[in-house]
Amino acid sequence: MVDRLLLLILFLIGFLTIVAKRNMIKKIFGLNIINAAVVILFVLEGSRIGMDAPISNGEPQQFVDPLPQALMLTAIVIGVCITALSLALAVHLYRIGGTFDIDKVKERLHDGL
Amino acid sequence: MKARIDFRSILALVAILAVLLPILATDTPWPTEPRDYLAEHAEDETGAKNIVSAIYLGYRVFDTMGETIVLLVAVLGTIGILTKVESLVGDTQQTIGTVSAFSLSAEKRRSNRLRTHLLEVVTGKVGPIVLLFGFYVMLYGHLSPGGGFQGGVIIASGIVFLALGNQRGETSHLSNSEKLVHIETIAFLLLVIVSSSGLITGSPFFGNPLDHTAVPVGYIVVLNAVIGLKVGTSMGFLCIAMMGGTD
Amino acid sequence: MTTLLLVLIIVLAVCTVTGPDLLHGVIAMSAISLLSALLFFILQAPDVAITEAAVGAGVSTVIFVWALRHTSRRDDEGKD
Repeated sequence: MVDRLLLLILFLIGFLTIVAKRNMIKKIFGLNIINAAVVILFVLEGSRIGMDAPISNGEPQQFVDPLPQALMLTAIVIGVCITALSLALAVHLYRIGGTFDIDKVKERLHDGL
Repeated sequence: MKARIDFRSILALVAILAVLLPILATDTPWPTEPRDYLAEHAEDETGAKNIVSAIYLGYRVFDTMGETIVLLVAVLGTIGILTKVESLVGDTQQTIGTVSAFSLSAEKRRSNRLRTHLLEVVTGKVGPIVLLFGFYVMLYGHLSPGGGFQGGVIIASGIVFLALGNQRGETSHLSNSEKLVHIETIAFLLLVIVSSSGLITGSPFFGNPLDHTAVPVGYIVVLNAVIGLKVGTSMGFLCIAMMGGTD
Repeated sequence: MTTLLLVLIIVLAVCTVTGPDLLHGVIAMSAISLLSALLFFILQAPDVAITEAAVGAGVSTVIFVWALRHTSRRDDEGKD
């Protein structure tokens, strides 16, 4: 219960970073923080119902729920793909605008190059 | 943080809080039926002892194929935008200043100050060990924690080590961009062939062709190997292309 | 133990987003990945732990450092 509220605080930190900061790299940091918060939430919830790791060894045992873990593997890899693409776009915008500040880049694009 | 906190961001924050707080603050119990079913039947139906591998390579293998395609598209997009950046900078004097000091080919490096002897010797010697560990993690994915993606990312780290560790200009064959791209395309083609091989014995697409023989787990081993090769070479190629390429 | 690790992750996340030097933020992101990998190991999820450690501390940090190497390292938001 306390853990889930802490994860909510982490999610809100990431969300505020995306909305309120002007530097593009800080926005990408916020995306990564949101990804980490959601992955930890799912694995935490799945681990409440058992005691062992989900590797079967022949005898009946109570292990943790393996289904959220399999889904979160996909989520982590897709998160790093999104980070790579958005960093390439941010570097491209830096080359055009000269700065990472998104308001200044928007102004310079509006004024024409 | 005083930059853009205005009325709309506070409203968005309150909206998200209003949606998430009732979900996270209540204590509903997590359902146990999937875990019970998988504890009894996963090893008989797929043959793998690692239940997580049995899920993402046996029961939900379409998700894995979708993830492989997303990785392919992301690497394509990043390399495409990278080459556009380089062509935007052009052959002006600025090109010399922007290529980093860690660049892999010795001509493009601005200075050798950061490429110390320590870096080259250590990464060159540790590289093959990391590659061996990556292959082990990839091929034992059905018995112990590991699998295609985990082994693939470790292989990518090993390829980066080999690319950084070339002394006196001699480069390893695995850090050559052409060979990495060839291995990646062959691995993707093998993935499509292996996944359609179930059609021969009457199973659906992604069905296990070895289902009623002695070793149904061989299908999972082959899938692990192919996915690991694809993920490893594609991420290795991405990292090497970002560091400046080896040609 | 999980509560302590989550509090440390929150402190590191605040340290990532409020700092004038972007390279310090990248190192803090790498530390968040390390602490999450430890958290996954404690929660009995070894596959997710291996993936998060290899991806977060390996590939993700390399591409962030590449992006900062080709561009600027300072975050000049508080000035002008």
